[in-house]
Amino acid sequence: MNLRPYVYATGFVLGLAAVLLALSPRSAGQVKLAAGSFFVPLYSAEAGLQRVRNYAANKTASRDELLDQNQRLALTNEVLRIQIQQLRATAEENKTLRIQVAFAATNQWKLRLGQVTGRDPANWWRTLQINLGSRHGVREGLPVLTPDGLVGRVHEVHPNRSRVALIGDPACRLSINVQPSRENGILTADGATVFDHTIVNLKFLPAHTEARGGDPVVTSGLGRLFPRGIPVGKLLSVEPAPGALNSRARVKLAVDSSRLNEVWVILP
Amino acid sequence: MKTFYALGLLVIALLTLYLTNTLEWPQRITGTRIDPLPALIVCAAMRAPVLALTLLAVLGSLWQTSLSADPPGISMIPLFAVGVAVSLNRRAIHTRLWGARFAVAAAAGALVPLATVGFLMLLGRQPLLGWFSFWQLAVMSLASGLLTLIFFPLLEWLDQAVEDQPFAAPYDTTTRINRKPY
Repeated sequence: MNLRPYVYATGFVLGLAAVLLALSPRSAGQVKLAAGSFFVPLYSAEAGLQRVRNYAANKTASRDELLDQNQRLALTNEVLRIQIQQLRATAEENKTLRIQVAFAATNQWKLRLGQVTGRDPANWWRTLQINLGSRHGVREGLPVLTPDGLVGRVHEVHPNRSRVALIGDPACRLSINVQPSRENGILTADGATVFDHTIVNLKFLPAHTEARGGDPVVTSGLGRLFPRGIPVGKLLSVEPAPGALNSRARVKLAVDSSRLNEVWVILP
Repeated sequence: MKTFYALGLLVIALLTLYLTNTLEWPQRITGTRIDPLPALIVCAAMRAPVLALTLLAVLGSLWQTSLSADPPGISMIPLFAVGVAVSLNRRAIHTRLWGARFAVAAAAGALVPLATVGFLMLLGRQPLLGWFSFWQLAVMSLASGLLTLIFFPLLEWLDQAVEDQPFAAPYDTTTRINRKPY
């Protein structure tokens, strides 16, 4: 057997791998962008198919069904408008009180809706891809959420797409606050099981914690990466640690990332 | 060089990687994302020349990592190593027996992710690993073996469909018989 082609090919692959693995994060991002451009026709075809499916669904939906849906949406809209009025009054009150006690004013979120276009093919990361990029104002580190709660943060930005590191990924550790007891802790990457990715470990709770199973968990706002008060999940169980400096707990996340189709990015 | 065969191989790689990126139900059922490249490179190594294998390892790895948080080309060396190992020993593997193909691809399906995680750790990354990783490794290995049942006939058909076949090849013309003097 002629081994010369194998020797040349091995040399080429080893050399190329060495160059690729030594690239700076920026250059690595450009290489990934170039390689990812091969999938653009497939994503476009999928978007086209989706449009055709939506068109067909719109054409075949019955008038009674649409009227019924419209009526329900109008009712929900009215309820939400009343709630907004009530919240607006509370916000005004909050603003006045903040001025009186010289607290920094809170900004209103600028939200942008993105669609989930893919999930990480590797089993050792927990990330997903959305169809918003730097051209849409997305930057690294921005929080990503749904109406149910926090999803993660933007980890990698390309012109037309971004990668979101989900809660539970090593790139998305966050400081949280357990609601009734107001104790802070850190959500870490470990704790998930094979079939349930919505369970994560909470570390660095006070040793004599008052937190109990069922307590709501929200972002603490520490570190200024995530705004304060975004729902994260609920405590499943707390492991008391007598004699230790801090105790641990398990948290059930509010958002099941495996069923996400759309997410909101909080723009700066 | 089997140009059309190599191109077909790359198209199959691109499509299967796209499907693993967009389809969610395999992970819901098994708790694991299936990697199609080890099975594909094993099947390709049984028929394709080394240049096609190199292209598949390089581009397949780059495409896969472009969809992932992995550094670009992290799985290139493991994939290529598996491909070369199978290619060099293809005469020793009973490619006609599905059991042999299954066993080789299952081994590749476990070795490639293991080596990739090893490279990641050497680079100072912290991949998510735990007891669940053993289950994921077992599923990836099994899935890789099962994928050969699809990939091997597909590549065989592709080879026959796009490449010229010799009019007559009653025996292997590349084999030399060295007769030792008695």
